[in-house]
Amino acid sequence: MAAINLTKMDKKEVIQKVIENGGTGITKCIQCNACASVCPVAKAGFPLYGRLLFRKLQTGHFEEIIEDSSSWACQACNRCTEICPRDAKPFEMVFAFRRMQANELAISTSAFTPLMNLHATGHAVYSEASKDLRVSVGLSPEPVTSISSEEAQQEMRTLLDNSPMGELGIF
Amino acid sequence: MAKVGVYVCHCGSNIGGVVDVEDVCKHAETLSDVVVSRQNLFMCSDPGQEIIRQDINNGLVDKVVVAACTPRTHEPIFRKVLEGEGLNKYLFEMANIRDQDSWVHANDKAGATAKAKQIVASAVAKARNLQPLEDKYVDVTKAALVIGGGVAGIFAALDLANMGNKVYLVEKEPSIGGVMAQLDKTFPTNDCSACILTPVMVDAGTHPNIELLTYSEIDSVEGYIGNFDVKIRRKQAYVDWEKCTGCGACADACPAKTPDAFNAGLNNRGAAYIHFPQAVPKKAVIDMTHCINCGGRKIGSEPKISKKTGNPILAPCEKACPAGAINRSVAVDEGGRIMDVKVGAIVVATGYKVMEKENFKNLAPDSPNVLTALQLERLISATGPTGGQFLRPGDGKKPHTISFLSCVGSRDERHHTHCSRVCCMYMIKQAKLLKEKYPDLEIYMHFMDVRTPGKDFDEYYTGAIDMGINIIRGRVGGIDTLPEGNLRVMGYDSDLAANIEIDADLVVLATAIELQDDIKPFAQKLSLTLDGSGFFKELHPKLKPVDTPVEGIFLAGCCQGPKDIPDTVAQAKGAAASAAVPLSQGRVRINPTISEVNQEKCSGCGICEPLCPYAAISMIENVAGHPRARIEMTQCKGCGVCTTACPSTAIQLYGYTEDQIMAQICALTA
Repeated sequence: MAAINLTKMDKKEVIQKVIENGGTGITKCIQCNACASVCPVAKAGFPLYGRLLFRKLQTGHFEEIIEDSSSWACQACNRCTEICPRDAKPFEMVFAFRRMQANELAISTSAFTPLMNLHATGHAVYSEASKDLRVSVGLSPEPVTSISSEEAQQEMRTLLDNSPMGELGIF
Repeated sequence: MAKVGVYVCHCGSNIGGVVDVEDVCKHAETLSDVVVSRQNLFMCSDPGQEIIRQDINNGLVDKVVVAACTPRTHEPIFRKVLEGEGLNKYLFEMANIRDQDSWVHANDKAGATAKAKQIVASAVAKARNLQPLEDKYVDVTKAALVIGGGVAGIFAALDLANMGNKVYLVEKEPSIGGVMAQLDKTFPTNDCSACILTPVMVDAGTHPNIELLTYSEIDSVEGYIGNFDVKIRRKQAYVDWEKCTGCGACADACPAKTPDAFNAGLNNRGAAYIHFPQAVPKKAVIDMTHCINCGGRKIGSEPKISKKTGNPILAPCEKACPAGAINRSVAVDEGGRIMDVKVGAIVVATGYKVMEKENFKNLAPDSPNVLTALQLERLISATGPTGGQFLRPGDGKKPHTISFLSCVGSRDERHHTHCSRVCCMYMIKQAKLLKEKYPDLEIYMHFMDVRTPGKDFDEYYTGAIDMGINIIRGRVGGIDTLPEGNLRVMGYDSDLAANIEIDADLVVLATAIELQDDIKPFAQKLSLTLDGSGFFKELHPKLKPVDTPVEGIFLAGCCQGPKDIPDTVAQAKGAAASAAVPLSQGRVRINPTISEVNQEKCSGCGICEPLCPYAAISMIENVAGHPRARIEMTQCKGCGVCTTACPSTAIQLYGYTEDQIMAQICALTA
């Protein structure tokens, strides 16, 4: 592998993007590895766990790592943020990276159907299998959620269309 | 009949964890003349000492053997116990069953116990033959010599002078100030170095008790604590300092060019020069090795007479001096002159130097844009060659990308194994100062690891990270030169686990701290020893950090090991306090365990005289006119070389007499 010329990396741009997406602690990370020591993502053997992800971002890597799926293995346990000695909020950085990935549609194709379901019905996953069972015990066929309320579905669509996800063009 | 008491120490688990102390104690009871044998967890503790006190007080024992650690640290403690109970303190013998037994035989408990018994038996055998000795005293010269006029020497001199002692402060350069005077600012407070040092230099220069001897070197040191005879060579300045006003006219007029060491070689100075603008004393010197002898006229020769005017044609320096302090017609001694002083104590504060970049062929040392950190210090200093403008030496352009390389020559078995201790912090300081002044500057710092063990140091470092200075974990392997004087730094980022390159327009090397090339002959003049890293060795790393093996000579500052300014000042004040002890006591004790010649037995062969490493032996004539050896007690260190060499067994080393040593050998071989 050729050496990485750090002077030619877009460090400022990537760091700025991480900060805009909520990873405000990116420049505080000192690579101590405390976050990695408690991280389920690291323990499960995903290559781009917290500390390494942050170093890549600090040194201006984004295109190079955009397709990596490690960040989606984050369980949002928040242990990294609890243990970070620099209060860099690593969890926020992982989610900032996820947002950056999503903005480039660098997400699993299997995530598209649930997202479209959410936009259409307010449910990412909705099963009709319980319909008969509900009727047999005297309930309405649909639960009293957005599924049975056009108004609620409209509200959900408004929310999603006006969120950063609306700009992705998947709805 | 001697009444020997044996006291065996457990030293916590140091001895007790290996040696069967109980068994050693029982064995000691079987030895001749041993009347009592006891043990304690720590014999040096108050209750431990009390056991010995009571036994002496009760008339039970009159000779004491303590089997414990090393006499180097603990013999004085136990001798004091004897003295306190009215017993001659030299009726004490220490058996070292820790350093020489339990520590080295930790895996052989039975063997260590057997050896402890032998060591104790040998000590008892000697103790039975011990004779009381009396301490001797000599008067002290109430004056001190401080060698080196850096921040360490200045503070040591000021403290000693403020205590009322006459102080000779010797500095080889024309001005005091040392390396600190070359620094721009100081970590972790960013105080301006000159602003805090200059007033202290002035204090030292004007103190009524301090005699400033700059542009001077130590020629020789003879004598001993309380009475050192020192010859100081006052180097030839070729400028009459009585008349020189420090105006600098000669320096401006001098056409010679030589690299200016004060500016770390970044610019040239003349042969006639003033050390630096805030010099104390502010006096000019002519560096004769670089003088070009204007008009082909050597120093000490009359000037040619102008055919036109009939006036003598003077050299530019002579002509420029408004005070008439330079007269090249006068033949002066090139070697300067020797000044004799007598002092009671000496503080060595000779400082350090940093390694030159030429030692590191892989780091593009030939590029003018690769600097040592000291050179950068001068480059950013207001008194530096650019007046503080940050312009790179290669082409005078303002740098945009800088790489700092740590541990250059430090922690490297090819150069120095030690950590130079201050580089991490001063590099961070330089990076922060530059980033503060030029926020667009891109700064990379390559560290093996960042060492910030000091008050407010780590906060200072994390402050640098917050400023956007790039910290890279990993040493740099090499630097390639690029067109237009730029440099490609080839390193590795262990956090990325990838090779990296930095295209920098300036590279700064934190080169190792080491002692000057000519330090060995200087050390020999003072009988001082150097440690494994080449620094002056203190007597004990923890308990005697400013003392040396030579009584009356003390250490301060970086000559003892790399350290920052606060530690240097603290050590200098410590060395001054220690040096003041003999000066304020007015007399010093001479250890009676030294050698004496029996004039009746001496044959006058003279074998001993050249063998003495301390020049303590001289040959004198006795009443019958025959030569006889005589030992000067103030110079004898009790090493015993003469005693063993004497073919007539005429020399006795008190405390290690023949019958005592033979008794020890017999006990060991029994």
